[in-house]
Amino acid sequence: MELMTAIGAGIAVISGIGAGVGIGIATSGTAQAISRQPEASGKILPMFFLGVALAESTAIYGLVISILLIFSK
Amino acid sequence: MKALEFKQIFSFPLFGYTVVVTETVVVSWLAMALIIIVSLCMVRRLAWKPSGPQALLETAVGFLNKFSKDQFGGRSKYLGHYIGSLFLFLFVSNVLPVFSPVAVFGREPSFIIKPPARDINVTAALAIISIVLVLVCGLRAKGLKGWLRHLAYPVPMMIPLNILEYGVRPLSLCLRLFGNILGAFILMHLIEELVPIGVPMIFSLYFDFIDGLIQAAVFAFLSTLYIAEAMEV
Repeated sequence: MELMTAIGAGIAVISGIGAGVGIGIATSGTAQAISRQPEASGKILPMFFLGVALAESTAIYGLVISILLIFSK
Repeated sequence: MKALEFKQIFSFPLFGYTVVVTETVVVSWLAMALIIIVSLCMVRRLAWKPSGPQALLETAVGFLNKFSKDQFGGRSKYLGHYIGSLFLFLFVSNVLPVFSPVAVFGREPSFIIKPPARDINVTAALAIISIVLVLVCGLRAKGLKGWLRHLAYPVPMMIPLNILEYGVRPLSLCLRLFGNILGAFILMHLIEELVPIGVPMIFSLYFDFIDGLIQAAVFAFLSTLYIAEAMEV
């Protein structure tokens, strides 16, 4: 049982891949936008943080599920 | 893990039930008291020419007023207050655990301040408040007929998906905040157990301050977006 919970928790954290790819795309877009228009960085950065927090949420769901698997017996 | 439990501070009977007050509630009260006391201290002696803390206060309130005017238009007066207090409460309650003592050389501290958003009940309550506000504002702005029509907006086939949105949105708001704060809390706890002095300070800068600020801002901003979208006629 212990082994299966550990494997399940490990599988749940795989959802971090999507968040990593998403944040990478968002960062590359932000870098391009700021390099084209450096004066607009004050408007770009809040949108970047918002998008990163949204993209991160799938990884967080996986983390929540793995934490629930490990700590709630 | 001992730190993950919810300690019961006290309980009292009410109408035949037992109301349990956990440490989550007590830390929330602490955050609320801090916000109220600081606000009262800052507005005590207002001068015609702002200086010092008053200038900071006026900038913050002006930013909030402008933001809510941009988003909500005519109804900005009431909704702006809600968004502002939501952000302030989340930010203060996420940053408050910085002041909690750490176990040094195996000596257990007498109390630990844990973030209230670590309890899923707190985030679920906030998400439910937001989605009820979305429903009420949508009904008031569109009327019952317009609201029913918006459910079948592009094609009638979308009705189940549009109804599902009212369940998925609070769930994602709630789980995002809960998972972020719980993950940061567990990581900080592990770091503090490993190296109690010095190193946690550096990690705390990210996990408590920046993460707490970003998550509070994201929660408030997403609530704003949902409410403003529901009020569009």
